[in-house]
Amino acid sequence: MVMSEMETGLDRARAIYQDRTRRARELKAEGKQVIGYFDIYPVLEMLTALDLVPYRILGDMNEPITKADACLPTVVCPFIRSVMDLGLKGRYDFLDGVVMAHGCEVAEKTAHIWRTYLNPAYAHFIDTPHTTHTAALEQHKELLKDFKKTLEAFAGKELTLEKLRQAIEVHNEQRLLVRELYDLRKPDPPLISGTETLQVLVALASLPVTEGNELLRQVIRQAHERRDGPRIQPARLLLWGSIIDNTAIIDLIESLGANVVMDDTSLGSRAYFPLVEQTGDPLDGLANRYLVALKSPRTFRETVLTKTKRKDYLADLENRFSYLKDYAQEWKVNGVILEVLRYCDIHGYEVPGLKDYLDHIDLPSIYLEHDYSQAALAQLRTRVQAFLEVIG
Amino acid sequence: MKSAGSLYFAGVDLGSTMTKVVIIDGDGVIRARVETHTGAEHRRLANRVMEQALKQAELPFEEITYVIATGYGRINVPFADRQITELTCHARGVTSLFPSARTALDIGGQDAKGLKIKDGKLTNFVMNDKCAAGTGRFLEVIAKTLGLKLEELGDISLKSQNRVNISNTCTIFAQQEVISRLSEGVPVEDIVAGLHEAIASRAVGMLRRLGIEGDVVFTGGVAKNKGVVRAVQENLGHQVLVPDDPLISGALGAALLGKEIAFKSLEKGEPLPKKERRLAEATFYK
Repeated sequence: MVMSEMETGLDRARAIYQDRTRRARELKAEGKQVIGYFDIYPVLEMLTALDLVPYRILGDMNEPITKADACLPTVVCPFIRSVMDLGLKGRYDFLDGVVMAHGCEVAEKTAHIWRTYLNPAYAHFIDTPHTTHTAALEQHKELLKDFKKTLEAFAGKELTLEKLRQAIEVHNEQRLLVRELYDLRKPDPPLISGTETLQVLVALASLPVTEGNELLRQVIRQAHERRDGPRIQPARLLLWGSIIDNTAIIDLIESLGANVVMDDTSLGSRAYFPLVEQTGDPLDGLANRYLVALKSPRTFRETVLTKTKRKDYLADLENRFSYLKDYAQEWKVNGVILEVLRYCDIHGYEVPGLKDYLDHIDLPSIYLEHDYSQAALAQLRTRVQAFLEVIG
Repeated sequence: MKSAGSLYFAGVDLGSTMTKVVIIDGDGVIRARVETHTGAEHRRLANRVMEQALKQAELPFEEITYVIATGYGRINVPFADRQITELTCHARGVTSLFPSARTALDIGGQDAKGLKIKDGKLTNFVMNDKCAAGTGRFLEVIAKTLGLKLEELGDISLKSQNRVNISNTCTIFAQQEVISRLSEGVPVEDIVAGLHEAIASRAVGMLRRLGIEGDVVFTGGVAKNKGVVRAVQENLGHQVLVPDDPLISGALGAALLGKEIAFKSLEKGEPLPKKERRLAEATFYK
């Protein structure tokens, strides 16, 4: 790919963010096959190893949902409804196929509805287990073997172990580069804003992994060199939640006197921080990473018992959420925004426990529920501003 | 330098239904208070409400040291130095009216808020601003359906002997339910009392989520309705404190916060963080 000499990494990230299908359509025109995927559970290394371009299917907060209501209930996750709506409107008509996983019940149903309504040339569903027990891990590995088989049949070539190892290498490289990107957010002021970070993340979800890595290196270099980065603000916030794929929410927060310096969302750190361990059989490392190491509320984790075999609420909270305390310390966070899409049960059920935990460690937080519509975000302004006044 | 008494501070609370302006002097004494309907056109014309307040205080605009805008329309008020949310302003205003207050409920035209207050400062809050249910707008719509004036509802509901249950607090469904109750021949006062109960139970539920502590203050336009006040007290199981003028706590709090910000700057010898302000129409809808 020829990149304009004048175009900086951040400019390029923004351009891809604003027109995210362009590069995928270009690649398609060059003869590449592009495979769409839902959520963070499809094993992308297998796509990369077979020279298929992974392309994350996202929604559009600015597009009113007009077609999806014919095939999905209105009282389910508005992000998924948006995704289905865009599919029905042909936004993803350049995809050669899709791989979906059991992210949540609604995503699972939508995977099948997508297959029925849009009839892609290739469609595979990974029924990712919901626990991390040994049996679940073994089952997950078997499911990945099935995925490998259907993908090989579709690509018309064998997925060799060597290719898979190389793909793991290059995806791990991306994960480490994303960590470096997040390191840019640790100083005060951060070297990159929350909005810019999200633009980079959306760009990564729209590019082949090697191009994404190139973009990351460019952005990291630019952020270190430039003098016009974000300014110091009274609040340094961590954003926890389901998915944020539009900068509008972060723009709103950052316009009110805060820097969003860390996140735990499915397009951000949650998707990238865990690495894949290179194991004798690469499927072992992959099965473990995508089931056990990925920390998302959709996976049940056994309550930790005390020495006397009793359940202890605080110990359980500590086990589930202490990584957020670590984030808060490393990124010097003084407030947390709990962002939940309306009807997202998976994240909604997590909130009371998480709020108790954050109260316990004296980290102020605010719960914001929204409809995944840019037009409706103004309602959140007062809440965010008041929260910043409380912690300010 | 001027003495504290000759400095003036204004709080402008642009609510969805009412616009309120309070001017205080440096001793915290209220020099003017104006409340008027916001209306579609008047939201833009908040400057006229400010002019009325200035007239009442017999002050030119230039004499006002600091102006803080709050409320739903606080953004783009060209004559304000700063905007602060109504949550923080209410907390400050409520504390000045009732220093013992630790919990406040404010039900305005468009939203309902629960506030937790400590040492005069907002520490936590909860807000219902997604629909008209349980707000002043709900009562307006129902009053219209019943052919009553909004301000009559409170007294009428107090006559109720047999309150009906209104199961829906969605404004539209409740309106249908009211019509169906009327056609069953249920007395108007029993219906109105049922509506007040619906609002109160919803609001108290919201407060309980926040955690009720100490004295509870009830403000906002809906606190003028004696029927809702009684229903809130029944739901809480104890008395609430209602200011003589439940509408002004936001604007008063804004003026007081303006005064505190200004005095802090003066003490430190720093210039006031001011904007270039014009006593002109708001540009909210442009």
